[in-house]
Amino acid sequence: MRWLRFAVLILLAAVLQAGAVKAVAVTRFNICPDLLLILLAFFAVYGNTFDAIITSFAIGFAADLISPVMGPQTISFGLLGTLLAYLNRLIAIKKMPHQAAVIFTAGILAGALAYWLSVLRGQPHTSNPYTAALWTSAYSGLVGPFLFLPSAWWMGIKTHHFGKYGS
Amino acid sequence: MARKRIRVSRGWLFTWLTLAGFIFLFAPQGLTGKFQTSFARIFRWPLSIGRSISLSASAPQSLTDVVSRREYNQLQNYLANVTEELNQERRKREKLADLRDRFGWDGFDFRLADVITATVDGRGELIIDRGKDDALAVGQFVLGDNSVIGTVWSVDGKTARVKLFTDPKSQLAVNIAGLKTVMQGFGGNKAKLKMISVKHKIKIGEVVCAAKKPDFLDAPIIVGKVTACKRGDENPLLWDITVEPACNVEELSSVAVIILKPQK
Repeated sequence: MRWLRFAVLILLAAVLQAGAVKAVAVTRFNICPDLLLILLAFFAVYGNTFDAIITSFAIGFAADLISPVMGPQTISFGLLGTLLAYLNRLIAIKKMPHQAAVIFTAGILAGALAYWLSVLRGQPHTSNPYTAALWTSAYSGLVGPFLFLPSAWWMGIKTHHFGKYGS
Repeated sequence: MARKRIRVSRGWLFTWLTLAGFIFLFAPQGLTGKFQTSFARIFRWPLSIGRSISLSASAPQSLTDVVSRREYNQLQNYLANVTEELNQERRKREKLADLRDRFGWDGFDFRLADVITATVDGRGELIIDRGKDDALAVGQFVLGDNSVIGTVWSVDGKTARVKLFTDPKSQLAVNIAGLKTVMQGFGGNKAKLKMISVKHKIKIGEVVCAAKKPDFLDAPIIVGKVTACKRGDENPLLWDITVEPACNVEELSSVAVIILKPQK
């Protein structure tokens, strides 16, 4: 794993997620894709299990930096990313529709878990958290597999879609 | 020379990182908030640019012969402030003919600050690019589009956190229809007034103004407007009034902080 490139990618995604990504928001609820969720799925699918655990928690920490409360996303992303990495050892998630489904499911589960952890912390929560998680996950699932390609190129990870960019 | 590698099992790694997550979750917010503030401070330029991009992308195309919604809101809020000022002056003159007081901002100054990040849904909070170095202090009122949107909650050298009045932990003394009461944040860009008896007539659209606070606010400034008014579920003798901000906080790119001028 190229950790310096990973750090740059995550910081870039966090900065974009905090602001610019709202430019592609849809509906009056400002639903936008979650870049960090997409990267969580990417590293869980294309990294080894050990690296996937570290990247999941690191991405969760980055998500917390741009969220109202610290902690919920670190835990939920860490847990979901680890589960996804182990699942990937059993069932190879290589096809784009499967990747989209994985992002969608992981988004909903991570969103629900983060919401309940925020409640446990006694923090105020967003209105309609499940609706927001559902639509954000759906949007992320739609665009996510396409963002896997530039991410793989940047990280120097060989995928079957992007075979010529080997590490 | 061979590099010595520390071997950690996946199970232990997961356990330690989960534990770290829970420490973050339950650590005092003042402590963990420093990570977020530092991130906002370090990446203030890309964050500001990103926010400008998203704001410009979401701004509707305005016609040449109509004013924009934002300008309209600014003028409406200005009008509400002046009207409230006028009403208050009239009441004063009626009651205290011999005690003249003058409305104004003589002893106050403003600091314009750019919004770095804004969280409006759920917890209402802004991070702005002014801090202690610009004479900001906890408790100072923050204006957006000529209306009070919240108060400074924490300050460091170059940034400050603003707690919006819609934040569930926020309480603000306000005036509504000549009554003084306390407004409680409710989250979701709303606040509630629950201590007003139903014998008082409150209309939808009624203006809510921040009450004067010595050393912090010396004039009535609009906070928001009543968007719903019904009898309380717990106590039907009290109104359950919903107030929404007088400006679209999510679209604010800059705010003004009211600062007391030092005495000469």
